[in-house]
Amino acid sequence: MATYARRHLRFGWWSLLVFAALGLLLETLHGFKVGAYLDVANDTRRLMWRLAHAHGALVGVVHVLFGLTLRGAGGTGFRNVPLVSIALVSASVLLPGGFFLGGVGFFGGDPGLGILLVPVGAILFLTALGSIARGVGR
Amino acid sequence: MIPARLGPALVATAAIGAATAFGYELLGRRVGARPEQAISDRPIQVRTDEYVSSSACQACHPSQYASWHASFHRTMTQVATPESVIANFDGVTVADVPGRPMRLEVSGRELWAELDEPDWDGKGDAPPRIRRRVVMTTGSHHQQIYWYATGHGRTLGQLPAIQLVSERRWIPRWSATMHPPNVPLVSESGSWNGVCVVCHTTQGRPEFSTPFGSEALFTQDVDTKAVEFGIACESCHGPAGEHVQANRNPWRRYILHLTGQVDSTLVQPARLSPQRASQVCGQCHSLWEFHDPSDERHANRSGLPYRPGDELATTRFIVQPTTNMGSETMKRLLDQDANFVRDIFWSDGMVRSTGREYNGLIDSPCYKNATEPSRTLSCLSCHSMHKAADDTRPLAGWADDQLISSAQGNGACLSCHAPFGGTGLANHTRHRADSSGSSCYNCHMPHTTYGLLKTIRSHQISSPSVQASLDTGRPNACNLCHLDKTLSWTAEHLEQWYTIPRPQALGEDDRSVAASVVWLLRGDAGKRAIIAQALGWRPAQQASGTNWMAPYLGLLLNDSYDAVRYIAARSLKTLPEYEGFEFDFVAPQEQRLARRRRALEIWRDSRARQGRSGDAALLFNPDGTFIAERLDRLLAERDNRRIYYRE
Repeated sequence: MATYARRHLRFGWWSLLVFAALGLLLETLHGFKVGAYLDVANDTRRLMWRLAHAHGALVGVVHVLFGLTLRGAGGTGFRNVPLVSIALVSASVLLPGGFFLGGVGFFGGDPGLGILLVPVGAILFLTALGSIARGVGR
Repeated sequence: MIPARLGPALVATAAIGAATAFGYELLGRRVGARPEQAISDRPIQVRTDEYVSSSACQACHPSQYASWHASFHRTMTQVATPESVIANFDGVTVADVPGRPMRLEVSGRELWAELDEPDWDGKGDAPPRIRRRVVMTTGSHHQQIYWYATGHGRTLGQLPAIQLVSERRWIPRWSATMHPPNVPLVSESGSWNGVCVVCHTTQGRPEFSTPFGSEALFTQDVDTKAVEFGIACESCHGPAGEHVQANRNPWRRYILHLTGQVDSTLVQPARLSPQRASQVCGQCHSLWEFHDPSDERHANRSGLPYRPGDELATTRFIVQPTTNMGSETMKRLLDQDANFVRDIFWSDGMVRSTGREYNGLIDSPCYKNATEPSRTLSCLSCHSMHKAADDTRPLAGWADDQLISSAQGNGACLSCHAPFGGTGLANHTRHRADSSGSSCYNCHMPHTTYGLLKTIRSHQISSPSVQASLDTGRPNACNLCHLDKTLSWTAEHLEQWYTIPRPQALGEDDRSVAASVVWLLRGDAGKRAIIAQALGWRPAQQASGTNWMAPYLGLLLNDSYDAVRYIAARSLKTLPEYEGFEFDFVAPQEQRLARRRRALEIWRDSRARQGRSGDAALLFNPDGTFIAERLDRLLAERDNRRIYYRE
C-alpha cells in the first residue's frame, strides 16, 4: 500500500508540474497573441487545450489526494488498489491527452479525433473516484 | 429507509440538481429580460419555418460566425441601443430638418426624439410636436437611419435626419439620396415594415392587413416580424432547422468531416452553379418586383418564397430591360410609373443605381456567354461572405467590400483571361503594367453607378466604347480617367489600339471639349455626380492633372441636387490647395455661394502658377478665364430631368 501511496504522490506532483507548465505555455501564447491559438478560427483549439490544462491539473490533485488517503488509511478498507491505480493513471493520460489532441487538428467547432480518448478516460476516472469514495467509507 | 452508504451520493445528486435548477432559472431570467413576443411597438424577431437564427450556427462555425458578425450585413438592421447607434443622441439638437429642430436624448438605455409630426395631416397652423422612442436602426457602413415607434402597432416612422457615418454628422434624410430639388418629401412611415424588411432582415414578413400603400397607413393592422434582424446566415444558406437537428448526432458530423461528403441538409452557395450562387446575392442586390399582386400578398404573410438554391426568377420578376422590356409585368410596372426603368437604367439597359449589382452581372459577357461553370463569372468570383483563413487583412479591411484577397487586383479576371497577365498586360492595355491604366476594373468596371452619396463600379463588365457614350450619355472608362480629353481623343485611341471604328456621329463639342466637362455641364444629376467623384479620384487626377478642376467643382458647389454638392465638395478637398476647405452642402444658399466664391478665389490666386490657361478643351481662355460663351451654352443645354434612384 505504501508503494501505491508513494507512486500516486509522485505521479500527482509531476502531473501538477506538467499541466501547470502547460498553463504557462497557454499564457505565453496569449501574451504573444499567437494566432494559431487565439484566432477565432482556432476557437476549438483554445477550448480543447484549456480543458487539457484544467483536467490534467485536476487529476494531478486527485493523485496527490489519493496518495495521502492511502498513506493515512494505512491500507484498510481499500479493495482492488492496483486496478484503481491503473484507472487513475490511465485517466491522467487519456483525459488531458484527448483534449490536447482534439485541439491539434479539428473540424470547425468539432474537435479532432483525439477527443475519442476523453470519454474512455472519463469512465476510468469516475470508476477510480467511485472506488476511492467507497474505500474511504469502509 | 435509505441505506447509510447511499447518503453522500444522494446529497451530491441533490446538490447538482439544485445547481442546475438555479442556473436554468438564472438563464431563463436573462433571456426573458426582454422577450421579443412581449414587445408590441416595433417589429420583432420570431423563429419560424425551420429558421433557427445565427445563434444556432456560432458553436459549430465560429470562424464563419465571426466574419459574418464583423460584416455590415449583420448590422444592416439593429435594435436601437446606446451600443448600436452611431450618432450622438445625448442632448443633441438637429436643426437641418423640416420644421422645427429635432431634439434627441438618452434616458437610461432608451433613445428618444422630439420632432414635428412627419405624418401631419395639414390641419392647424403647424404640425404637432411628438416625442417618440427610437427603436430600430438601418445601416452602419455609410449612413445610419433611425426609426421610431409610431404607436400604431409595429409600424415604424423615420427620423427626418440621418447620420453620415464618415463625418459623424446629422444631415437631412433627403440630402442623403439623389433627391430631386423641389420635389416634396413623402412620409417614410411604414416604409421599413413594407419595404426594408424584405431585404434588410432574414426572412422578414411585413404582415400588413392590406397591401402597403393601398390605404391610409394608420388604418392598417401591421404585425411585422422577421426571423432575425440584419442579413444573417440563413439569408444565404437557407433555413437551418434540419441541418441543426441532423448534426446533433456526433457520428454524422464526424463521418462528414472524415469523408468530405457534402452535407445535404443545408445550402452552401459556393457549391451551387455560378448562376444559382449569384442568385443568392441577387435576391437582394437586384431590382425586382412581384409578378402579380397575389405574390405580394403571399410574401406579406409568409415572407418571400425564394430559398437559396432555387431559381430566383421563378418567384419574382427581375427587372432587366435588355430581356424583358416587352413583358406583361414590365408593362404593368411602367403603367404604374413611366419612369420606372429610366430612373434606374441607362438607355441601353445597363443598371446605373447601386445595390442592383446582380442586374449588371447577368448582362455581363463573362456571365451570359460563359460555357463552363469554372469560367463563369459569379458574385463569388470576387466576393466572399466569410474572410478566408489565409487572408491576412483584418476583419474590418475585408468587411468594406468583402472582396476575396485575389480580387483586390487583377487576379479575379486573370484567372480566366490569363493571356493578359505578365507581359501580355501592357500589350493589351497600352498602359504601364503597374499603372492604374492596367487595372482590369478601371477599364471594364468604371464608376458609372451611383448610390448613397458615392459612385461605385459598374458590375456589368463592359469595354470602353465611345459609341455607347454617344448613345446613352454614359461616361466611358477612358474619359473617366483622362478627364481632360475629348471623346474624339478616346475614339482615336480605341481605333488605333483596338480597331474599334471611330463613330461618325461625333459632334463639335465631342471633338473639341473635354468629355468630362461636357458631362459635368450638360449632363443630368447622375452624370454630374459621376464626374464630381471622378474629379476627386486619385488615378484620374494623376492622369489629368488637378490644376483645372477647382472651378468646375466650384460650379457644382451650387448644384440643385444636395448629393452632387456633397460629392463635389468632397472631391474639392482632395485638391492641393483645398485641404481643410470647409463647405456645408446643406447650408442655406447664401452661405454656400459665399463658400463657392471663396473656392474660386483660391483658384484664381493660384491660376498663374498652376492654371491650364489657353486649354480650349477645358474651356479656358489664354488669360485663364472661362470661354464663357461655350460654357454658358453647355449649361443651358443641361439635362434637368428628374433623377431619382431607388437607393
